Amino acid sequence: MALDFDLSTELCGIRFKNPVWTASGCFGYGREFAPVMALRDLGAVVVKGTSAEPWAGNPGTRVTETPGGMLNAIGLQNPGVDHFLRVDWPWLQEQGATVIVNIVGKTVDEYVEVARRLEGSGVAALELNISCPNVKEGGLAFGTSLAGAAAVTAAVRKATSLPLLVKLSPNVTSIVDVAKAVEDAGADGVTVINTLLGMSIDVRRRKPVLGNTFGGLSGPAVKPVALRMVWQVAGAVKIPVVGIGGIMTGEDAVEFLMAGARAVQVGTACFVNPRAPLDVAEGIGAFMRETGVGRVAELVGAARPEGGLGAGTGSAVGAAGRGAPAPAAPGAPAPAAPGAKPPAPKKAVGPMADYLRDFLKDSDRF
Amino acid sequence: MLKASRSKGPWVQEWATVVSHDGQGDVYKLVLRAPEVARRAVAGQFVEVRCTAGRSLVVDPLLRRPFSICYVSGDTVCVIYRVVGRGTALLSSVGVGCEVDVMGPLGHSFPDPAVGTGRLVLVGGGLGIPPMVMAASRAVSVGRSVVAVVGARSAAYLAGLEELRATGVDVVVVTDDGSAGARGVVTGPLAAALADGAGEVWACGPEGMLQAVKELCAGAGVPCFVSVERHMACGFGACIGCTVPRADGPGYLKACQDGPVFAAEEVKLGGA
Repeated sequence: MALDFDLSTELCGIRFKNPVWTASGCFGYGREFAPVMALRDLGAVVVKGTSAEPWAGNPGTRVTETPGGMLNAIGLQNPGVDHFLRVDWPWLQEQGATVIVNIVGKTVDEYVEVARRLEGSGVAALELNISCPNVKEGGLAFGTSLAGAAAVTAAVRKATSLPLLVKLSPNVTSIVDVAKAVEDAGADGVTVINTLLGMSIDVRRRKPVLGNTFGGLSGPAVKPVALRMVWQVAGAVKIPVVGIGGIMTGEDAVEFLMAGARAVQVGTACFVNPRAPLDVAEGIGAFMRETGVGRVAELVGAARPEGGLGAGTGSAVGAAGRGAPAPAAPGAPAPAAPGAKPPAPKKAVGPMADYLRDFLKDSDRF
Repeated sequence: MLKASRSKGPWVQEWATVVSHDGQGDVYKLVLRAPEVARRAVAGQFVEVRCTAGRSLVVDPLLRRPFSICYVSGDTVCVIYRVVGRGTALLSSVGVGCEVDVMGPLGHSFPDPAVGTGRLVLVGGGLGIPPMVMAASRAVSVGRSVVAVVGARSAAYLAGLEELRATGVDVVVVTDDGSAGARGVVTGPLAAALADGAGEVWACGPEGMLQAVKELCAGAGVPCFVSVERHMACGFGACIGCTVPRADGPGYLKACQDGPVFAAEEVKLGGA
């Protein structure tokens, strides 16, 4: 992979090779992807939600496609933290991957137990999953109440010295309030967003498609919602935001960065294109080359009215925020002068134009 | 009981060219030039195909569609599918010469036919018939005695019947309406074949059919392998969406990675 830009990004005191991480639940523990990529090339691997004991997951149909996306009701099937530490973690270390463990529990004590067992293991960070819509206890039960979100965050904060991200649910009245609550409770960062609660009905069988009735909606269909929430949260908290929701391309990711995310996660796209996280990273690099940006930090918050998070919320982007030209990475073209207009967008060709052409051509089919 | 192992090799993602694409009613036969998939494929494995041609990034329909491999010929791979929704409707309009994004071969194959003994009975129902074509070729190539029992609701849904006959195996046909072969379901001829002395049964089709086949084989003490179908998001083990309950207790196996071919006694069929 030729990445001739400085794609690295820093958050929670860790420097990541690039700002593209895999999303929990869409990448297993990485093994399935080893045939098509080197895991060390990823910004980070966020592994499947992992609990203190193995969880079996939900019965019945677990996934179904919806317009521009999919619903899942896996139910956090996972082999448990001991299995992770014994089997998956050594393998991930051999791959040279930077690993963040997404942790789940049915009670505060169970979250704390997983965090304790990961203490000293050498994983880079924890991501607290308080937003899975597919398990009755735990998960979403914590994520949809300010007190619950704060309580589990504070308890895990006490139990771990690792950087602690909290993955937030969009299925709330105000995600900003939940973000502030977990920030106050000691979170080092927030991941925005988990899936949106949805459902699908099989009209021939007159039944919900999913065995769990409801499931989590993901994929390009949720991107505008996710982006709006990243924008809102990034404007309201001082801790870094990791953006996630329907990212398929480098330019999708740039949107999240410009909304204020310091890193992004790629999830559902991995199912369609196993190399998607690397393609997205390369796409960010191509965008930077095209628009004369030397460092990822220059993109963070760049679309915000306050002119970038570096100048805005006091987060650790520092002098690399927009308006302060960063030193060019070796081999990179000079960054655009402050205030210079980015190059005009090219003629409307590309995926969407092709899609529209195909759609119109075949529209009599629908 | 025979414990033949099912093989599973590395898969690849490649741009395949449509060599031919013909429909009869809503059943389509798609032949793709996909040398890397063709080189690796073993009977019972499947491919994941994007439903739109070309390298543009179409996000709706989003997911690939899994299709069992009907046969491999040289550097081409054939699948037979039915138009059942938006994805397959779009795929059916993809023309000869177009490029299609294919991943495969995925999952575990049927067992090595050279390992089992006695007459091999292949049972296919509807769109479960196509994978029996490659299974038949493979078994014939190692000199195994083979009979195929295939059924569908009517003659129009006997997908892959001609290709199956072309392998040279004996084929017994039944249909629900009697429009081809005898009126009836596959369990009739299967019971007769078991009574005749069968060494092994491989089956693919609707899950109710698979359950009935499993029960007949268990009653006769004949090893049985079933290929199951599930909704899948990825097809290579990452999403854990395509689960099949384990027969030996709680928990699940993945249709895409642990299957789609399972020893029948490994899985609970026909339910959650």
